[in-house]
Amino acid sequence: MSLRKRSERRGAVAIVTTLMLALSLAMPTSALALTTNKATARPNEDGGSSVIGGLDTRLTWEGTVEEGEEVTEVTLMLPDDGTFDGATTKITVLDGLKRAKLEGEAVANGSQLTVTFKEPATAGYLLRLEVEGMRFPSEGGDIVVSGSYVNQAGEQTLADSKPIKTIANTPLQALVAQLDEAPWVQAWNSNPFLGMFFKPQLLATAFATLVPGWLLCLLIVVIAYPFAIVLGLVFALMKISKHRLLRFISTLYINVLRGTPLFLQIYIMFFGLPMMNINIDNNVLGVIVIAINASAYLAEIFRAGIQSIPQGQYEAASSLGMNYFQTMFSIILPQTIRRVIPTVTSDFITSYKDTSLLSSVGVMELMMFAKNLTSVSGNMTPYVAAAIFYLVVTLPLIKVVSIVEERIANSERGGGPRPKGKNAAKAAEASNGAKLSGLAVHAQALDDEHAYDSAMGQMTPSYASEV
Amino acid sequence: MSKSTITRRSFIGAASTSMLGLVLTACGGSSGSTGATATDAAASADYTLITPGKLTCVSDMAFPPMDYMEGDTYTGYEVELMEAIATKMGLEIAWLPPTKFDTIIPLIKQGGKADVGASSFTITDERKEEIDFSDSYLDSNQGVATLKSAGVKSEEDLNVEGKKIGVQSGTTGEMWAKENLTNATIVPLDDPVQAMSGMSTGLYDAVAADLPVMSYLCAQSYTDCEVSIEIPTGEQYGLVVSKDNPGLTAALNEAYAAVVADGTEAELQKKWFGAEL
Repeated sequence: MSLRKRSERRGAVAIVTTLMLALSLAMPTSALALTTNKATARPNEDGGSSVIGGLDTRLTWEGTVEEGEEVTEVTLMLPDDGTFDGATTKITVLDGLKRAKLEGEAVANGSQLTVTFKEPATAGYLLRLEVEGMRFPSEGGDIVVSGSYVNQAGEQTLADSKPIKTIANTPLQALVAQLDEAPWVQAWNSNPFLGMFFKPQLLATAFATLVPGWLLCLLIVVIAYPFAIVLGLVFALMKISKHRLLRFISTLYINVLRGTPLFLQIYIMFFGLPMMNINIDNNVLGVIVIAINASAYLAEIFRAGIQSIPQGQYEAASSLGMNYFQTMFSIILPQTIRRVIPTVTSDFITSYKDTSLLSSVGVMELMMFAKNLTSVSGNMTPYVAAAIFYLVVTLPLIKVVSIVEERIANSERGGGPRPKGKNAAKAAEASNGAKLSGLAVHAQALDDEHAYDSAMGQMTPSYASEV
Repeated sequence: MSKSTITRRSFIGAASTSMLGLVLTACGGSSGSTGATATDAAASADYTLITPGKLTCVSDMAFPPMDYMEGDTYTGYEVELMEAIATKMGLEIAWLPPTKFDTIIPLIKQGGKADVGASSFTITDERKEEIDFSDSYLDSNQGVATLKSAGVKSEEDLNVEGKKIGVQSGTTGEMWAKENLTNATIVPLDDPVQAMSGMSTGLYDAVAADLPVMSYLCAQSYTDCEVSIEIPTGEQYGLVVSKDNPGLTAALNEAYAAVVADGTEAELQKKWFGAEL
């Protein structure tokens, strides 16, 4: 009896376990009939990479139909105030990499989107739904796309997608939306020229998004320049040295670097070094290229500056018993520095602008950001914004150059402010200064040693009056 | 009497309006001539061309085997397909010099330079807001190429902070990378060849672009690279035509259907992809 009972009980336990096992096996298969592969959203932040709620974007949902299943309908659901209204849905059904000829129709209803297939999607098919123009809830947060589907057994619950990170609207985006609405902006943009080059919405976005690129440009040139000055000085001294070999090396260095485009030098460094298994961080490499390139130009500037110091200074120094180095470092170079400051500043401006070439090799600088924004928007305004970022630095520097030149011209003339005819003198000086700065920049652009030397040598009152 | 008098102001207004009209017509006239002569169906022959008798096309010519340059001649599947289509329309084909991919749609939209953009454009709803697409002429997918030595197997291997993904600016490959590899840095470049050479020298960790191009480049030019991830997207290429020129879209569709019907397309696919797709 007791044995029997025990065996009965055992039998019951066995049945229950089998049942449970069967159930647990059945559950996942039914839940997995349509596997949710992923749900992603296209970043809709202007010039950024975030997904902003409450603004149009595109949701891409992918699911695979499992073995032995036939799916006829899929419904996607968003949390409360997300909406599919007004969205267009592209339905793609794939068998491996091939498109399957299976058509469907999508009906949006608030936070629900129902896709009905004309024929059932069978095992192995990948269902891809791209919903363009839908909106996530405006408060942002991690959004899970849930839903249901219909197979031969009826309606089933769809596995939740991995959460999509969304954010609430940014102040910038709000400003852009405000500008979109403003009547003056619409009137402004209706002019093809203004709309293409000075679109207010894009100016606002560009100013905000270009800042990191601008800072990187400044960082690169500010770090590169001290190295360039030291290198340039070394090569300048080598070029005027008595040793033929040193002169040769320096001439070769300067001529090769000045005689080839910076763009080419960038390519050689960025593509060549990694091939030799020398891997340097892109930004550091950018600094190196800019420094080396600028050093060649600076070497010529320094050489011309040193040679513009009259021979009498050397003779005076040697009459005081100074040796070469003493003469150089305490007599000649201090005078040189004063004379080359304007041209070095101009060269600094050039180098700063040259950082833009680094965008072609993937350095995330100003041009790169502007290019991205332009390619996304199909509008030239980001480039105009980039131009303003360059000008913010270069215009004050150009002003500095002209002031310094004026002062130098003034002091070499031996003149300070005159007691009489103050205004007339001032006006004359100002105009001279302006002409001189124009000349220096011109000489720089010409890049002609001769024109350059004359500009250097003539930074004196006599020349100023000739002009 | 006073009603019919033309005041000076209204005269100036009328005159300037008519002048403006003249200028506009002149502009329109110089850039367009109506009618295709040799199409079989006269009904759809209502379109304008930049140069009469010529179908002016534009492409980036940096997308082998679809469209690329061999020496200084344009070649590729798309180039030959366009030739076949133009022949069917009774037109000569003319290619603009290679134009950066992301500027082609604005160029077609603005008008005045080219009739058709043929540069493997995936038909997307977003692009449809700017321009019209012809019927699709090829299916495509996305592919991610990496160095063989990198051992990349899945998206997770690349979706890591600090990884750099080279893409062609303005492409669906770029969009895919931005949407799916959110942790990686996406570097937009001018063309996929630039991206691939950058990757083979170690500048980027991976390149995302259309699968046929990735496969071709890995097989032909960058043999140390491989297509490590194939992404089924089922996208379709379409020709880009200005919204102001719906007649041309219709004519292109008709000519393309004729190219398919007479087996030219199948022939070209065999030639360029080794098999009919």
